[in-house]
Amino acid sequence: MNRSKLLGLFLLSLALAGAQSLTPSHHLSLSDVGRLQHLLSRPFTDLQSAYYSVVGLTKLGAAVPDQKEVCQFLKSQLNPTSIDSLFFAAETSKAISGCEIPVSNETRDILLAAVSEDSSMAQIYRAVGALSSLGLPLASQEVVVALTARINKEENVMGIILALQTASYLSQQAELGRILEEIEDLTARLDDLGGIYLQFEEGLEATALFVTAAYALSDHVDIEPPLKEDQVIQLVNSIFSKKSWDSLAEAFSVASAAAALSNNRFHIPVIVSALGPATVSHNQPTLQLLVTDVMSQALTSAKVLVESAYAVASKSNVLSQTPFTLNDGVFELNFMASKPASGYYQFTVAVTGDSRLVANHVELKVKVSTEVAVTNMDLSVVDKDQSIGTKTTRVAYPSKAKSSFTADSHQNFAMSFQLLDVKTEQELTPHQTFVRLHNQKTGQEVVFVAEPDSKNLYKFELDTAERKSEFDSMSGTYSLYLIVGDATLENPILWNVADVVLKFVDEEAPAAVQPKTLYIPKPEIQHLFREPEKKPPTVVSNTFTALILSPFLLLLILWFKLGANISNFSFSPSTILFHLGHAAMLGLLYIYWTHLNMFQTLKYLAIIGGVTFLAGNRMLAQKAVKRIAAEQSSRLAKYRSLR
Amino acid sequence: MSNSVLSVISRFLEEYSGTTPTKLKVVDAYLLYILLTGALQFLYCLLVGTFPFNSFLSGFISCVGSFILAVCLRIQINPQNKGDFLSISPERAFADFLFASTVLHLVVMNFIG
Repeated sequence: MNRSKLLGLFLLSLALAGAQSLTPSHHLSLSDVGRLQHLLSRPFTDLQSAYYSVVGLTKLGAAVPDQKEVCQFLKSQLNPTSIDSLFFAAETSKAISGCEIPVSNETRDILLAAVSEDSSMAQIYRAVGALSSLGLPLASQEVVVALTARINKEENVMGIILALQTASYLSQQAELGRILEEIEDLTARLDDLGGIYLQFEEGLEATALFVTAAYALSDHVDIEPPLKEDQVIQLVNSIFSKKSWDSLAEAFSVASAAAALSNNRFHIPVIVSALGPATVSHNQPTLQLLVTDVMSQALTSAKVLVESAYAVASKSNVLSQTPFTLNDGVFELNFMASKPASGYYQFTVAVTGDSRLVANHVELKVKVSTEVAVTNMDLSVVDKDQSIGTKTTRVAYPSKAKSSFTADSHQNFAMSFQLLDVKTEQELTPHQTFVRLHNQKTGQEVVFVAEPDSKNLYKFELDTAERKSEFDSMSGTYSLYLIVGDATLENPILWNVADVVLKFVDEEAPAAVQPKTLYIPKPEIQHLFREPEKKPPTVVSNTFTALILSPFLLLLILWFKLGANISNFSFSPSTILFHLGHAAMLGLLYIYWTHLNMFQTLKYLAIIGGVTFLAGNRMLAQKAVKRIAAEQSSRLAKYRSLR
Repeated sequence: MSNSVLSVISRFLEEYSGTTPTKLKVVDAYLLYILLTGALQFLYCLLVGTFPFNSFLSGFISCVGSFILAVCLRIQINPQNKGDFLSISPERAFADFLFASTVLHLVVMNFIG
């Protein structure tokens, strides 16, 4: 039992999700259709333009002007040996009444010869079109063979679209199944843009011609095209999103698509829109809807009904399964008859009556607006310790209180009122209920919000002492205004209720208040650069330098006194090299201090140090040998003397 | 009291000049020189301030480092300590002293700024 309930709920949610399908966001409004017609009505100078203009206008359902002149033009411009020329002339002549293009046997032969595998798809299409429009006999099976062969050779989108168009001219007994499959293949090649648009990367013309061809062929063989509802709507969005057309060919393709989508056997997209703003009020109690096809032609045979309507704020259901009445091409519903409270309502509208209708469930947001009345406006000055009884003055809208109210720092100024819907006498809570105090002398204004209590009675209290900072402690006469506004109110209120004299305790700024000076130049910042550290005077530094060098003198004197000498200096090469190397190292250290960096110094030091080390090693070894020899000889002498 | 201090000092000086070999006295003179230089640098810093602090540090550390290396040299070439340094001949001690001094002075020159 539980399982089946869950399953039912799941299926219902799926169905509801499906019901939230796409609705068209673009279509051809009446002005768009007018512009398209205007573009197609331009004077033409060659047969191709004539074809686009005349056939395009016919598709839009407009009358072709000067049909006799058009016919003359066709006959004069016709080139009986050119397939294209024959096609344009033939198709155009079919669109206007009473125009016959003369045909000869050569013409027929030329056209029949074009129907072969070797001609391009465009040539086959135009030949078949010409043959069909001129009423000449046609071998459908041969055409099918030629088309199938060309489809395999020409994979491009335009070619296949032309094949579809050609097939719609052929006899219904021919085997068109293979060609019919191409509709599905082409649908797969459409690009989905954001789930809203579906179009070929070749552009608008290709998409529009595809729609025309697909529906033409589907109608011809009476098999529903494999296009899902959402895909149809996405195609509608793509084709009708462009409102100004670059070329006659593009305009013609859009006109053809519009005609195909408003009059075929399978899918008719429905456009539902409100006439004017979707607002109802007591003055205008009817909600008016326009239900049209993509070319803004009214679908008068449809039945429109509200499936459900619920208030957005309270989610309560107001209407269910209520039909609209058709009145002069517009569908009307008297919504105010069900006495809705003011606010926003979400309508789900269904258009029925024809099984071909697509996107026939539409969500619409309707606003119910009303008029507000301010009642029971009571003003009073209350003492803070509430020892003195309050004296309330009632003021009626729109008059002003006769006397002004005075409040100093020991008193509060209080205001209470009610906001009612004029017609239903119900309390309202609009979005904006402000109390504005405007100082007449200084131009200062302070705005407060009046809040409703649980019984929807609005109260406002001004504590003079507490709020003095907002008034900048400026005493004086303030005009009190009540401001009431809301999106659903038709009569916003700005009411000068009374004058209030406020007395603040300490008057800090007797002068007129300056507007906040935000945009004047600010005081300049003086940047303090980092001061160099205080150095001692040069005399001191020099003295100490001399002082520090003095122990060196002392050292030299001491060494002299001790008798240190260099009498043992042996002039062997290693000694000289060692001393030179050592001196070079000391010199390098000085140069390092003045010029070099560590890496260079290490490099040079390695070289000089290596040389010095080897030389020094040699020198010290020699010295050691000498020392050991001296020690040995002295030991020998001692040993000898002891003996 | 000062009498005994004075007598101790004069006795010490007598012993020193008598028993110490000349080589060591030379090194001692060098030590005294380094000591005085370091003390004077410190005095300057106390009096005037540490303005180029890195220079003061490098100078002072140069004195301290050189003093330590010279002390090591003195210990190693003292013939009375021969038993402790059997593998290190005086020439080797001197070579070590030179090498360590080079490294010390390289670092000092880097830091002097």
